[in-house]
Amino acid sequence: MGRFAHIADVHLGSNREKSMRDLEMRAFHEAMDRCISEKVDFTILSGDLFHTGIPDLTVVDQALVKIREVRDSGIPVYVIYGSHDYTPSGTSVIDLLTTAGIIQKVVKPHLEEGKLSLEFTEDPRTGAKLSGISARSNGLERKYYEILDRESLEKEDGFKIFVFHSGITEFKPEELSQMETIPLSYFPRNFSYYAGGHIHKAGIYKQPGYDNIVFPGPLVTGYGKDLENSARGEKRGFYIVDFDSAVRKIRFVESTAFSWAYLEFDSTGKSSAEFSGDISSGVEAANVEGKVVVLKLKGMIESGRTSEIDISRIRDRLISRGALHVYLNRHSLFSREYSPVNYVETDLRLLERKLLRENIGNYRGNISSLTGEAGTANAEELLANMKQEQKINESKADYASRKRNEALALLGIRDILEGDSS
Amino acid sequence: MSSEHEGEAVGRIVGGDSASLTIEGNNGANLELDELLVSESSSSDYTVLKINNMSYGPPTNPVVPDAAKSLHDDRRQDREEQDHMFYMARPVLRYSEGKLGIPKVIPQLWSEVRRANKSDFEFLTNNSPDTVFIGKIRSGSRVMDIDIRLNGRDLLTHHVMIPATTGRGKSNLVKVMLWSILSSGRFGILLLDSHDEYYGRTGRGLKEHPDSTERLAYYSTDSVPGSFSLVINLESIEPDHFEGILAFTEAQKQAISLYHRAFKEKWIEAIVRGKEIRESVSEITIRVIQRKLRRVLGIYEENGRIKCESSVFSADSGTTTLVDIVKSLESGKTVILDTSRLGDDGELLIGSIVAGRIFSLYRNYKGSGELDSKAPVSIVVEEAPRILSEDKIAEEGNIYSTIAREGRKFNVGLIAITQLTSVIPRTILSNINTKIILGNEMALEREAIINSAVQDLSDQDRSIASLDKGEAIVSSIFTRFAVPVYTPEFEQFAATERKPRGMNQGLIM
Repeated sequence: MGRFAHIADVHLGSNREKSMRDLEMRAFHEAMDRCISEKVDFTILSGDLFHTGIPDLTVVDQALVKIREVRDSGIPVYVIYGSHDYTPSGTSVIDLLTTAGIIQKVVKPHLEEGKLSLEFTEDPRTGAKLSGISARSNGLERKYYEILDRESLEKEDGFKIFVFHSGITEFKPEELSQMETIPLSYFPRNFSYYAGGHIHKAGIYKQPGYDNIVFPGPLVTGYGKDLENSARGEKRGFYIVDFDSAVRKIRFVESTAFSWAYLEFDSTGKSSAEFSGDISSGVEAANVEGKVVVLKLKGMIESGRTSEIDISRIRDRLISRGALHVYLNRHSLFSREYSPVNYVETDLRLLERKLLRENIGNYRGNISSLTGEAGTANAEELLANMKQEQKINESKADYASRKRNEALALLGIRDILEGDSS
Repeated sequence: MSSEHEGEAVGRIVGGDSASLTIEGNNGANLELDELLVSESSSSDYTVLKINNMSYGPPTNPVVPDAAKSLHDDRRQDREEQDHMFYMARPVLRYSEGKLGIPKVIPQLWSEVRRANKSDFEFLTNNSPDTVFIGKIRSGSRVMDIDIRLNGRDLLTHHVMIPATTGRGKSNLVKVMLWSILSSGRFGILLLDSHDEYYGRTGRGLKEHPDSTERLAYYSTDSVPGSFSLVINLESIEPDHFEGILAFTEAQKQAISLYHRAFKEKWIEAIVRGKEIRESVSEITIRVIQRKLRRVLGIYEENGRIKCESSVFSADSGTTTLVDIVKSLESGKTVILDTSRLGDDGELLIGSIVAGRIFSLYRNYKGSGELDSKAPVSIVVEEAPRILSEDKIAEEGNIYSTIAREGRKFNVGLIAITQLTSVIPRTILSNINTKIILGNEMALEREAIINSAVQDLSDQDRSIASLDKGEAIVSSIFTRFAVPVYTPEFEQFAATERKPRGMNQGLIM
């Protein structure tokens, strides 16, 4: 009997606050430790190990320590690129770790006569065969699936695992209905296990010809909606799978690195003073010690302004009562004395996408990579790229030059601009 | 008939009235039913006639002007040695001084008639991309090189019916229409394909369209690369969706309503689990509903988990299937739902769910002023009596009868395909403003078709009976007359119409 762990969407480095960065790293270390204690034969990281393709080196260092420990325990770590692991330059930290022999990429593509063939990586101890497709931003990997040689993958015998990092149209949650996804029909059939990533909600799905399509969801993430769901009780963790010639048991291992508290207060019909009082009482009554707290304030304040709610004092009080960290969500809090904003989206990435989509039409040029859906996708990638900070020891000039080159490559306009300048 | 005879006289008008003129055919004219003739006073004033019947008869003995008498006598001698054919033709269109209209006068007695030709219709040509191709104008069995294209928005939102018996080319016609709609990309089409014959899983089909990647979405329980799994989440189903599909007693309806109120979108799961509610509901009633739901949805509880026998209805998948389908339709795509592996009830239920969602959304769009930014949507329903017959809509109606009556206001239409027009109520038929009539041997059905047609087709019973495969008569409020049409074979049409947008001149009637 073989055993493997399936982890996805770790997003190390996604949180800005040090306290949360430490917690997300703690959750990852806990999962890695569990791989060792459960004596898994191998571990699959199905994308988005890091939150960016070139993350903070401190984060990389802390992760590397634990991944190497797993590898040194004789447990290979198989990975693919997630949508966040991708960089316009084509080289990310995942490649560095692969080159160093710490992890193994299972995507081995060959492009011949317009068809994409994939090789298998055979796990030496169990004989399990892994193959898969990495992600690009905004579901741009769809074109890989469209030209995928499914037949050769389906013909292969043995215990096969397909590793991917994409939403599948048939299984996407309702709140992600706008997400770019791949129809299940593009996936090769008859694999024993489909190790998915990208969907931040744990689930096991089946359709005729496709057994065990599994998304572990994240261990921890910094996205608003994910945080709220976690605090409201959605289980976070990863899967451990027992198998021989077929999958025998799939077990969800819940993350216990820290716990959550969810506090929600509704201001409807109250003055700002009354509402402040309600929050203070609620905060005092809640058990928040050793927990990450999501504090949601909502409703229409009858009199007074939202700014009269002393958020800093509430946050300080929660911290003084032992909360590890406090996330505040007041997107749905309004007052009659203040006009609400017209556009509310709790998921920053979706908000950015919607705004970019709305504004892409302002570009009047004829460069196809800057118009329509392609333009929106490229703008989103550019935005994500520009959020990457200057590296330690990188000069400002080098940073500016690197960003410029990455931007030109990403937008596919290097030739045009260089042509102009020459 | 070869085109070299176009322009030559083929007969002359020898009698009749405004509804039916009698034409004595010239020797060897060999005119046919549905043939289009022209009687012209001048090139800018002519009347188009359509032959609806024919018979033998004795030669006429017309009083002719002296000047023409000797010529007439010669011809008379010739005619007496021949069989005589008389044709009954209806004046269907008059073109006079640049204006087109229904004939208010009839051509002069003894005036000659000739076969209609392309130039007689050229003033109607239009190359708008917003049109739907039906076929080419047919004059008898002769196909003229003139496309019949109807304005898509008018055609689709005012509903279309395609009555025909088996083997007369219904599927071919729909495929050809959908191909041209795909080319336009301006209309959303929902097609419930109970025989899985439109996409082209095994042969040629709509998937061959050059724009199919962007404009065609195929949902099936047996997926092919690029298709989507036909899987509907149980939470998408509402009690109304069963109307006209699954019969519930009053007690059962009341119980369902109570569960829906208590558990909202999880009402089916609650019933299957037998959850208790505050109001008293008989255990027997719940068990009967559970059985009915299991029969249609294949849903049951096992070891505390909700399971589905088929892959079509699911408790955990297909959450956004409806959203995705609606989004596709709104943006002018054609969505094919392959329901060939489902039972009748399952297929109708899925149709009801999607049609219900579309109708409700479009009604809201109208209210919010967004309707004009959404593509008009038409729902193709095969074997329409399954959902539009008297007994199916007798009591409270269903979503299809609602769309038939009210859909036009919200840019939602039906394309109803049927072998049995007679079982569809007049209230529904009268709302369907285009009938594309294919061949039909059954007199009762022909009578129902003729009675419900937009134009007076009372003299076309024989024409309808004699329509061959691919031949049709289009009767529509958007055509000036009941137009004889020939729809080319799909394979041939698709091969020649790879990119018809803006290139194909056709008639907008």
